[in-house]
Amino acid sequence: MAKHEEITRMLFNVIDELNEIRPAEEHLEKNLATPLTGDSGRLDSAGLINLIVLTEQKTAEELGRPILLTDDRTLSQVKEVFATLGTLAEYIQRLLSEKRDG
Amino acid sequence: MDKQQHTCVLVSDFNLQNFSGYLTNDPEFPRIHAITSPFGQTVSTLLRSDAPCWQNTPDVAVVWTQPQAVIADFNALLRYEQVRLQQVLQQVDEYSALLVNMSERVKYAFVPSWVLPSYRSVFGVLDMKTEIGLTNTIMRMNLRLAENLEKASNIYVLNTHKWIEQAGNHAFNPKLWYLGKIVFGHEVFKAAVRDIKAALGGMLGLARKLIILDLDDTLWGGIVGDVGWENLVLGGHHHLGEAYVDFQQALKSMKNRGILLAIASKNEESVALEAIRKHPEMVLKLEDFAGWRINWQDKAQNVADLMAELNLGPQSAVFIDDTPAERARINESLPEVLVPDWPEDPLLYPSALLSLGCFEMPSLSREDLVRTTLYLSENKRQALKKTVGSVEEWLSRLSLRVQVEELHPANMQRVAQLLNKTNQMNLSTRRLPEAELMAWAENKHHRLWTLRVSDKFGDAGLTGIVSLDIQDQNAQIVDFILSCRVMGRKIEEAMLAIAIDHAREAGVKDVYARYIRTSKNKPCLDFFQSLASRFQQRGDRFIHDSKTPFAVPKHIELVQ
Repeated sequence: MAKHEEITRMLFNVIDELNEIRPAEEHLEKNLATPLTGDSGRLDSAGLINLIVLTEQKTAEELGRPILLTDDRTLSQVKEVFATLGTLAEYIQRLLSEKRDG
Repeated sequence: MDKQQHTCVLVSDFNLQNFSGYLTNDPEFPRIHAITSPFGQTVSTLLRSDAPCWQNTPDVAVVWTQPQAVIADFNALLRYEQVRLQQVLQQVDEYSALLVNMSERVKYAFVPSWVLPSYRSVFGVLDMKTEIGLTNTIMRMNLRLAENLEKASNIYVLNTHKWIEQAGNHAFNPKLWYLGKIVFGHEVFKAAVRDIKAALGGMLGLARKLIILDLDDTLWGGIVGDVGWENLVLGGHHHLGEAYVDFQQALKSMKNRGILLAIASKNEESVALEAIRKHPEMVLKLEDFAGWRINWQDKAQNVADLMAELNLGPQSAVFIDDTPAERARINESLPEVLVPDWPEDPLLYPSALLSLGCFEMPSLSREDLVRTTLYLSENKRQALKKTVGSVEEWLSRLSLRVQVEELHPANMQRVAQLLNKTNQMNLSTRRLPEAELMAWAENKHHRLWTLRVSDKFGDAGLTGIVSLDIQDQNAQIVDFILSCRVMGRKIEEAMLAIAIDHAREAGVKDVYARYIRTSKNKPCLDFFQSLASRFQQRGDRFIHDSKTPFAVPKHIELVQ
């Protein structure tokens, strides 16, 4: 199973790519506490879509296993999953461990 | 370097927010500030010059559409309804007319060609059938679009397929479409940004014009001084030899498009030149090089000497060398020279050269095609200069002839190129696309002359522009542009004579030139300051009393 550090590194690569299309003053910090959505979050809907797509892409490329972040299960708990980079990392770890168990 | 930020309007039927981000954030010059018009309103945005996005005179527009969104019958074809090709092409004509109309609001417009995601081509064997196949139809639509848009000199159709190929598996992502109405993946947008910025750079005169090459392990494999020219790795049935030949062929194709080639190599000159002359697989011949420095001196000094000889600044040059230490030396001492990281593997040389993206030219003139010949003629001129006693004697023996013409459609492309590329002998560094330049020249207060320069060594082609704006009692020299290839032969004075002669005929009191300083046009200031007895300097203005005639230098035959 992918270690938490590997997931974190992968997510930081996602943040690097996201920042390429964001204005400098709206760059996201590579920090697990960085808020993504919600009141203090910095992502609008387009930003969230890009985060989802890039995260799916990089999980497959860098961690070797695909995950799905556009299913009902994920989208019904968007605020919780995408609250911070850290909550997203934990969710990905859970998805990957479920895949392995299954 | 072009420090200005260029405003670019993005028009599309789909979400271009990601593209806009890449375009605005890309740190390379020229810098672009993208304004995205509301997506899905393509036709109305193109039609309405009063739409908010067109206010504040944007410089550039990118109109990127899906074919089914703007060509109704193609949308019907997507549903496999029967449509007539002629009808589809007529709609392409109508759409092209909208683009031509829009192009008047900007200096440059880019239109990425139409593509269809590969998963839309369901019926493979019918895909290339006329009037049935989607790919067949879209290819015809793109060709028709390109033909139609050739009428507008400032619209460029770009090849979207190239970007899709570069993006590979990430070219399309249905999730981006269904969640965000974003047609293409991030990699496609990044590739598009690279091409659009390279093209815009070319239009703004930022394209590189000179490639300075090392020899050993760069143009051929092996050290010629050690192994002899007979044993170099070049051509033959050898994968590396073939790669070196392909690299030389790529360089030759660049040379045929007007890019100058030169050599800077640490070698014995006689040994290296013998290899170039005698090796049967050399694609590049000695006459393909505008100059060379083959010796054991410091390479940075050799590169600087070559640029001085060719009258080109470091911002015009690219340096290619397989040795990291030599690249570092040039990077350190001549930071404006582009020194690309060069692959260790010679098999990657051809693709490394072709992907540099710094040679874009918005048009191709006769002068571009024969540029190396022009420089070789210049070498002969300079050789003559060394044999005579004075500059005056040298000039008198050149048999200089200057043919003066007004602006007309046949010379417009070259005039626009000269206006937009010349940096050194350029009074105002005014940059205008063809249509705007023609409109300016047609104003009753304006006159613009072009100069073709030739001498007994060759024809330098159209290399000068001088223009006047006559208002009441004053005539302003607006453009005063001379290619660096013919500077220093007193053509500059002939240009002033033409303008002043016309101003005198128009009965004006003063003729003045307003010098607008850039980082590169000091030669123009030096020239006007050298005329202190005939042009009085007041601040940034140089004023000539038109009561006094201004003669054409005696060594120049002026043909009007």
